[in-house]
Amino acid sequence: MAKQTLISISREFGSGGHEIAEKIAKDLGLKFYDRSMLDEIANNMNVKVEVLEKYDEAPRNFLLTRRVGSHTNSMAEILSEIQFDFIKDKATSGESFVIVGRCAETVLKDYDCLISIFVNGNKQHKLERVKEKYHLNETDALLKMARHDKKRKLYHNRHSDYKWGDSRYYDLCINSSSLGVTGTVDVLEYYIQERIHAYK
Amino acid sequence: MNIEQILAIILFVAMFILIVMDKIERHYVTLGCGILTIIGVFGIAMKSMEAITETLNIKSIFTLGFWYTAGNAEESTSGINWATIIFIAGMMVMVEGMAKAGFFRWLCMKLAKMVHYKPIPLFITFMLMSAFLAMFIDSITVILFLAAVTIELAKLLKFDPIPMILSEIFCANLGGSATMCGDPPNIIIGTSLGYSFGDFITNTGIMAGISLILVVIYYFVVFRKELAGEKLSQADVDAMPEPKEAITNKRDFVISCVIFFCAVVLLVTHAQTGLTVAFIGAVIAIITLITSGSYALKLLKQVDYKTLLFFIGLFMVVGGLEQTGILEIIAGYIGTVSNGNLRLMVAIIIWVSAIASAFVDNIPFAATMIPVIKSLSATQGVDLSTLAWALSMGTDIGGSATPIGASANVVGTSVATKNGYIIGWGKYCKSAAPATIIVILVSMVFIFIRYC
Repeated sequence: MAKQTLISISREFGSGGHEIAEKIAKDLGLKFYDRSMLDEIANNMNVKVEVLEKYDEAPRNFLLTRRVGSHTNSMAEILSEIQFDFIKDKATSGESFVIVGRCAETVLKDYDCLISIFVNGNKQHKLERVKEKYHLNETDALLKMARHDKKRKLYHNRHSDYKWGDSRYYDLCINSSSLGVTGTVDVLEYYIQERIHAYK
Repeated sequence: MNIEQILAIILFVAMFILIVMDKIERHYVTLGCGILTIIGVFGIAMKSMEAITETLNIKSIFTLGFWYTAGNAEESTSGINWATIIFIAGMMVMVEGMAKAGFFRWLCMKLAKMVHYKPIPLFITFMLMSAFLAMFIDSITVILFLAAVTIELAKLLKFDPIPMILSEIFCANLGGSATMCGDPPNIIIGTSLGYSFGDFITNTGIMAGISLILVVIYYFVVFRKELAGEKLSQADVDAMPEPKEAITNKRDFVISCVIFFCAVVLLVTHAQTGLTVAFIGAVIAIITLITSGSYALKLLKQVDYKTLLFFIGLFMVVGGLEQTGILEIIAGYIGTVSNGNLRLMVAIIIWVSAIASAFVDNIPFAATMIPVIKSLSATQGVDLSTLAWALSMGTDIGGSATPIGASANVVGTSVATKNGYIIGWGKYCKSAAPATIIVILVSMVFIFIRYC
């Protein structure tokens, strides 16, 4: 894979999008960026990563923060901007990578080598996955799903000109419930390889 | 309440909510609501062409009194306050020119060197410098440069910059309250009510001066442990950059210093010369542009036109409240509550302004309150200037209490946070809220003693 390849994977909570992204990165030998990028950012900022974690992919609190020109005192927005710069820097350096969330399909939209994917899933399938993964009962799992999806949607829509999960703005939207994680990875890898060939 | 009043209130409240939500850029919000005020309130509900022309207020620009007032300063009519807009635009051009020449960075580095980079003198010097600069330059620019240099010094000298940044922010807001041109609410109050630079400096200026002494002592006491812990080595001092390195171009630097000096002299003497702030703003901008040569176009492009459009829209929306008599109703309510007691009126105005400004933008608040105090003064027979100084101190200082209260707070905390020095609500309010209460109390007592 000599040419640069950038793969952004957005996902609904419980759809397995993160696991899918991780497998694709491993199979294709690409760097993988997710929440772990905070370690590098925290190190650069000389702050504890735990301080940043609670603001990761979070929308701004519009009652407690304000923007003046290009300045904001919302930690969530400042962290978003730092993450966007981080993603852009990695892409500018010529690195190929898979990135989960963080509005990457918007941040990297000017790159021809970007493949943007949105992973969704059936509600029941996602629910079972969340219950199992986090050892929750149905009510708590549903609440967790709703909370995370709302947070991701608000975060995305704040930083992007289009709506989170709107199929018109992704190269590919896929329901992971139909084929499961492994089957979805196979389909996506086939698509990615075809795209890379077409791009070359 | 009639239909035009209801419509004007809805548009005003919608504007405030949309500004707070920050989903749409605030200049689009105020302009949109302003246009709706013109069409809906004045055009459809009131069917009053007079209200439209009064609010747009364009013809005032073409009067002599707009640029030059022989003798007493002239009060602006209601509607768009073009004098404020032209003055702010002019100062923006001047400040861009100064920043390009490296003036602010040079000044910060020079003062730091003069006090040998020692933490406590540095802390006090930067507070005083912040207050002084903010008397003439917008507090956003002051804090932008001061916070950046403070962080740079903190990294080189290995100290915690947060106490310094917090105190600089407070002093920038305090310094802004001292003069007519320091803070947007003061510019609006001054141009709307016909007060001069001298009027402000001899009233709010004295209150700010007394408060500054108390605030320096307060912040020193609050942060004494952090400051006492900072130790400097000679190697740290030797590693500091030379102030002259900040100057990007000597010619531009000298010119920007001269223009700044001229601006200060013109502002200080404008009551004597009869030149209005609109004239001073326009002249300063033209001189800056002429001396910038080929850079003039770029300088013009860097002007924050969004803020100017925000002001235009804001004045239109407030014009809606004014023309429909809403603000007179509010003034009447304050008059009833205070029962003609000037002290009570002052207390209500200063504390309501301070509390409101701590949470919402103080510019729309001040613009709204000016017609209220005018009406209050006329109906209750109390001195307008007393109410104006209460409004000025309330809006200017109240904004210091929280990280969202004033633009300088947002910019200062933003610059600090981006550099890894996170300032949340708790850390900010712990020192700034008591300082705000102290200054508001001092100002209120001062007004009581001197004017009531």
